[in-house]
Amino acid sequence: MADDKTNNDPPLIERWLAEQQQWQRTFLTYMDSMVKNDDFLVHLGNALRGSLLAGKPYPTQPPPAASAPDTPSEDKLDQILFALRQLEGQVHDLRLTLDELKGDKKRAAKKPPPPKPKEPQ
Amino acid sequence: MNDAGPEPERDQERELEALLELSQRGRAKLERLHEVLTTPGHFGTGATPATVVYRENKLRLLRLLDETGQPRAGRPPVLFVPAPVSRYFILDLLPGRSFAGYVAAAGFDVYIADFGTPGREDRFADLVYYVEGLVRRCVRTVSALTDHAAINVVGYCLGGTLSLLYSALHPETVRRLVLLTTTVDGDVEGGIPWIAHQMGLAGEDYDNPRLVPAAEVKSWFEMLAPGSNSTLGRVSDLWDRLDDDPDRLREVRTMASWVDDVVPAPGRLLAELYRKLGPGANGLLKGTATVGETPVDLAAVAMPVLSVSAEKDTIAPAAGVDAVRSIVPHAEILRLPGGHVGIVAGRSAATLWKRTVEFLGPTGGSREA
Repeated sequence: MADDKTNNDPPLIERWLAEQQQWQRTFLTYMDSMVKNDDFLVHLGNALRGSLLAGKPYPTQPPPAASAPDTPSEDKLDQILFALRQLEGQVHDLRLTLDELKGDKKRAAKKPPPPKPKEPQ
Repeated sequence: MNDAGPEPERDQERELEALLELSQRGRAKLERLHEVLTTPGHFGTGATPATVVYRENKLRLLRLLDETGQPRAGRPPVLFVPAPVSRYFILDLLPGRSFAGYVAAAGFDVYIADFGTPGREDRFADLVYYVEGLVRRCVRTVSALTDHAAINVVGYCLGGTLSLLYSALHPETVRRLVLLTTTVDGDVEGGIPWIAHQMGLAGEDYDNPRLVPAAEVKSWFEMLAPGSNSTLGRVSDLWDRLDDDPDRLREVRTMASWVDDVVPAPGRLLAELYRKLGPGANGLLKGTATVGETPVDLAAVAMPVLSVSAEKDTIAPAAGVDAVRSIVPHAEILRLPGGHVGIVAGRSAATLWKRTVEFLGPTGGSREA
């Protein structure tokens, strides 16, 4: 069987030539994607780091200012911004509490009134 | 009679055949890689249709929808709490490979807390902000939407730690609690706090915190996974994987996108976790944990608890997870084969999903609150 296959295959030199053409096609496919698709370069860059991370570049160290502010005034601004975030949460809490109270009232209103005590005769 | 020519020529031909085969295999891998890299993948978002029912700062509370685009109103509610240092979509990875989707299809009204990506100002966020703020308001919102005073909570990794602390502080609002790969023994060898301790790092600065960059958070995870912390090792792993069929590779890509897409972490939260629950302090096991100044009484965790560990977990070693039995004695302990991510979203994750649905079902917990 193996001999039959060998005999039916094109000569080795032709197969090498075909393979070379396939490589050229593969190379052109990559080049085409690089030119036409911006994301492809990002994804290829990730793959060259051994990562299949999609949609964004592999995480790298950002500039120091991205993790901590450079000046005291920026630090203060960050603190104020975060305090506002906390306030935002407290307002949500308040709203939830009000909703709960409203719900309790509705439930209480739906309940039949307790029977009146009989008046002494 | 030898009609294939003299022996040296045949040897040369065999070598050329072998080289041709090698070339064809290498090219096939590159073509497969190209196909995978150019196919729009499913990444960065959950697999199941969902609607946002609550927003606060970067947090979004998602409610999963059914096939007709409607919420599963009237079903028992379940809130998934992922780790705030990674992205939520590991719990809702792919159609057919979604933990949250499976639980929803089993008849629950499912919610997922997506903590989002912290900004620089969020470096001041601490345990109080997460436990008494974001997690508590998510629970309150779900309770209000579903009219259930107590809901089911499923916490994953650090999200499990937040859920456990929350459940101890507000036990009346939690019907059942599932803790997935949640470390409670801060002294156990392995895991991120232990690595930090071994390296002599004092942790982050609580008073003057920074936003810990995603690349740094990523490097901790890489330190814990042997072989994955060198570019050469990672490239070699990827090259080997390129023999898989494209469909399988696309699945791998979705998972890889989650693994590599970590988010920056609030330095104050990490400092507080390290100082209170990490090596030496070990606050959960020693009963000294606090959220802010409020002591956490784990004896209050009286609702049924299921704690799940993974045998090959390098991020939350199984021994440190199973130690929950010493602080919540009635907790059901389940140890599964697999790793930190695999048991939740890998090919054998169905074991966890089924057990979770049983546990959350009407007769699942061993004790009712």
